[in-house]
Amino acid sequence: MIEAIAFYTFAAVTLIGAFGVVTLRNTIYSALCLGLCLAGVAGIFANLGADFLFASQLLIYVGGIAILIVFAVMLLGRTSDLHLKQVNEQWAAAFLIGAVTWVGLWRAAKIFSHTPLPIPEAAKTTRAIGLLMMGDLAVPFEAISLVLLAALLGAVFFSRKENP
Amino acid sequence: MTLTHHLLLGAALFLIGVFGALTRRNIIGILMSIELMFNAANINLAAFNHFLHPEGVLGMTTALFIITVAAAEVVVGLALVLAIYRNCESVYAEDFNLLKG
Repeated sequence: MIEAIAFYTFAAVTLIGAFGVVTLRNTIYSALCLGLCLAGVAGIFANLGADFLFASQLLIYVGGIAILIVFAVMLLGRTSDLHLKQVNEQWAAAFLIGAVTWVGLWRAAKIFSHTPLPIPEAAKTTRAIGLLMMGDLAVPFEAISLVLLAALLGAVFFSRKENP
Repeated sequence: MTLTHHLLLGAALFLIGVFGALTRRNIIGILMSIELMFNAANINLAAFNHFLHPEGVLGMTTALFIITVAAAEVVVGLALVLAIYRNCESVYAEDFNLLKG
């Protein structure tokens, strides 16, 4: 019962935040709505028993990426942007694509609703994730650290004042 | 809460992200919509892990990798946006037509 209340609350927070991201005219409000939506997703993770994923979602997404996007919005905006239309003229076609795909995904997800799954007990996951990353997934772990290093260098290179 | 509820939440979040990526004029808005799509994929991975393989953690670990790649992507994306803004003096996607010649 408490899980259902938590799920619906976090789902409402997530969807309202996401709706604000794509519809609000002021980009800084969109960025703040993105933070709200990511926090709602973190709540969904906590409700699913993924404790380490919950913590990293809060640390990396809400504390890092959302703040970075807010910084970029503040660096790039102009005051005249606040009164301009923020969606292009193809919004009706995009809405149609979304609605049709939603109906298709709804019908596909209904297949799972006929096979009731046992609700598993939540367990601590941090130790298992650490062992997996140092064991079977050691090569992707090293590769992702290389990707992060390359992203760091690329960000420094692109944001220099004069590009050679 | 069943798997279907989580899958439908993930689908709704993904489609809102697709709508935003197709319609926003501001490139930072497009980047934010892409983040929404990443999060929808993460919800699906965590839900499948929780309901179908509760004894393993491979789905959550994949979601962690996705979070890392998303962080790298948004850092490089924002640096590119800053560089483009310095050249074009605009943040709207329809103004970026330098390659048309």
